[in-house]
Amino acid sequence: MRTLLTCAAVALPIIIYVLTTAVVDGFNSFLDNSAKQLRLAVTQKTSITNPLPEGHRRKIETLDPTRKRLIAVCGLRYIGGQRDDDPTPLSTLAVDADTFAECFPEHHLTAEEIDAWNKDRQALMVGRGTARDMNWKVGDRVTILPSLPPYEKMEFHIVSTLENAADFVTNWCRRDYLESEMKRLQAPEGQVTFFFVKCASKTDLDYYRMEIDKLFAGSLDETKAQDEKTFMNEFITQQFDLPRNLAILAAMTVFVAIMAAANTMSMNFRDRINEIATLKSLGFGSWFTFALIQTESLMLCSLGGLIGALGPYIAFTHTPLRNLTVPLIQTIEIVPFTCVKAMIIALGIGILAALWPSWLAIRMHVVTALREVG
Amino acid sequence: MRKLSTALTFTVVGVIVAVLCILLSFAAGIRVSLRASGSSLNVLVLKTGATAESTSIIMPEEANRLIQTPGIAQDDAGQKLISQELCAQTSIPRRGPDGNPANVAVRGVDDTAFQLHSEVKIIEGRRYEPGALEVIVGKQARDRYQGLEIGGQVLLGRAANRSFTVVGVFDAEGGAFESEIWGSRPTIMDSYNRRFISSAILRLADPAQGEAAIKYLKGSAVRLNAKLETDYYEDLSSKTQQIVALTSILIGIMAIGAIFAVANTMYASVDSRRREIAMLRTIGFTRTSIVTSFLLESLLICILACATGVAAGSLVNGSRQDFLSDSTWTVLAYELRLTPDVVLTALGVAMAVGLIGGLAPALKASRIGIIEALRKA
Repeated sequence: MRTLLTCAAVALPIIIYVLTTAVVDGFNSFLDNSAKQLRLAVTQKTSITNPLPEGHRRKIETLDPTRKRLIAVCGLRYIGGQRDDDPTPLSTLAVDADTFAECFPEHHLTAEEIDAWNKDRQALMVGRGTARDMNWKVGDRVTILPSLPPYEKMEFHIVSTLENAADFVTNWCRRDYLESEMKRLQAPEGQVTFFFVKCASKTDLDYYRMEIDKLFAGSLDETKAQDEKTFMNEFITQQFDLPRNLAILAAMTVFVAIMAAANTMSMNFRDRINEIATLKSLGFGSWFTFALIQTESLMLCSLGGLIGALGPYIAFTHTPLRNLTVPLIQTIEIVPFTCVKAMIIALGIGILAALWPSWLAIRMHVVTALREVG
Repeated sequence: MRKLSTALTFTVVGVIVAVLCILLSFAAGIRVSLRASGSSLNVLVLKTGATAESTSIIMPEEANRLIQTPGIAQDDAGQKLISQELCAQTSIPRRGPDGNPANVAVRGVDDTAFQLHSEVKIIEGRRYEPGALEVIVGKQARDRYQGLEIGGQVLLGRAANRSFTVVGVFDAEGGAFESEIWGSRPTIMDSYNRRFISSAILRLADPAQGEAAIKYLKGSAVRLNAKLETDYYEDLSSKTQQIVALTSILIGIMAIGAIFAVANTMYASVDSRRREIAMLRTIGFTRTSIVTSFLLESLLICILACATGVAAGSLVNGSRQDFLSDSTWTVLAYELRLTPDVVLTALGVAMAVGLIGGLAPALKASRIGIIEALRKA
């Protein structure tokens, strides 16, 4: 019974450790991926909620008319939205149709998808997770009610479910269609929430980050250009600073596991004083008893660690839980390396938990031990 | 050795309770702040489709139609109590060494707003002069962000090029307004080059007329979205439900681990007292008494550990945090609150751990064979 309890007492905190680590790794991977894209996010200097004029795009493009270093500039306007018959919030962005594919190559759009996108002003590319949740497929006509201007239903034609994109939540529509709807409904036109600027290299990224802000310095709409990783990190840290807080929680759970395992090992030692005394009286050395207790603890904790690491791994790779969608990081991906880390931690817990009982076993004097037996 | 085991179990339960208290204090802080916001006598009007004031645009001609809404209260001068408000944002560095910028809400209001939001009271300094580049700030905003003390200068406006002087600090009974900067609506509209408002607040003459007013506002005459102000802030607090859900899962898993730790300790306790248990049974104590005594021991360990955990958790009580709402895109500054509900939840979890963890060992104790136990003694 105690063996089972110990395994469980280690396995459960390890489960939390694996899950929190997977989420933290997900955030870090998301940020690293953002850094790899060599993109700048250009927002209004005072606040991301203040729009920028769409005309800024042409001015930014003048910084490199050759397009060798500044590859593409794409204006984006967030419209959020929801389906007519479903209150689930959607993440929809209206983007400049001509530079979208070039600015977001990680979507791996096919020639057919780009062609369909270019031909239809009402084209909508849907994240495959969203498509699955909403039961949407290519060719469907769908209506979205934006949560920002123009606040009126907009009809779209799905041209892709972004099967090869890393982001499978966000929907993308064409900004020229949004603009025409804005004009029709007399809503504020010609504005974007931010620009994404694709650069050729890290050097170019740093160079244009400063040049863009200089370009608009002193104007009515000053800009704040940041590399995409910094831009995204600002969001994440402002929303409860989840990566940091989850890392603290993971550390606490490991501490709890050490306490629980130490509890068991001290109980085991207490129950086996007689046996240890007999071993010592038979001539087995102190280090033998030390190794004996350590081995038992290591075995119990590695078993608990194995359960704690494999449980979430199997759950999030072979059950419907693999479709669970998490904002920004998309899915909880438990990689084998996380399981290996969890196992190492479980072994560490085993060693720490048995330190005190095994130390007591070393210090146990033969005469005292024999008296205990008597 | 049993003392060590008890101490370790005590620590496990104490740590879990402390973590629980801290996590729930986050949620309670946000919830208290948002629930303290708004009045059930006020109807909040937004553009249809908009989910928050910061994303709502109501044009002047639409705002003009609000005056016909039935059931609206009037002031002493016979004016209908309607407050037209503009919500803008500005970026201000947080206090502290990092100084990370936060997206702080800037609200442009008229004098009527102070009648409708009667919880807003100046606690330091004075109200801004209409037309002057002056603002008042909520006390949470003053404490959390740089340069918002009285006499401080804050750059506002579309190009953040207008320097406003902070002339007063207000209290809003712990509500969300305390995270905001307030100024005269015409001045704020002019600074941000806005020709529209974000929301309108209508004071009902009678709460019973709320439904009719909302129906009218949503109808063909006005065609705007309307809800009770309290419902609006309740909706915004839905984020806290996600925190509570996540917290519950994590704490649930940790609590199961704690149950095993308690069970371990109590099994050891039973094993070391077989002789005493047999003696008690011999002199007439019933099995129920034995079960009760071990459960009480288990409960006592957990309750004491809970007290320690709550005491540790209380160290963060009152500390200031903020988070960026994904509905309003502005930060809500709040204090971590170790409310009675949080303490009761922690106590409930600790007692459940004690009872469940102690039950199997207690039952085992009650079934110890008297003759065999005494013979071994």
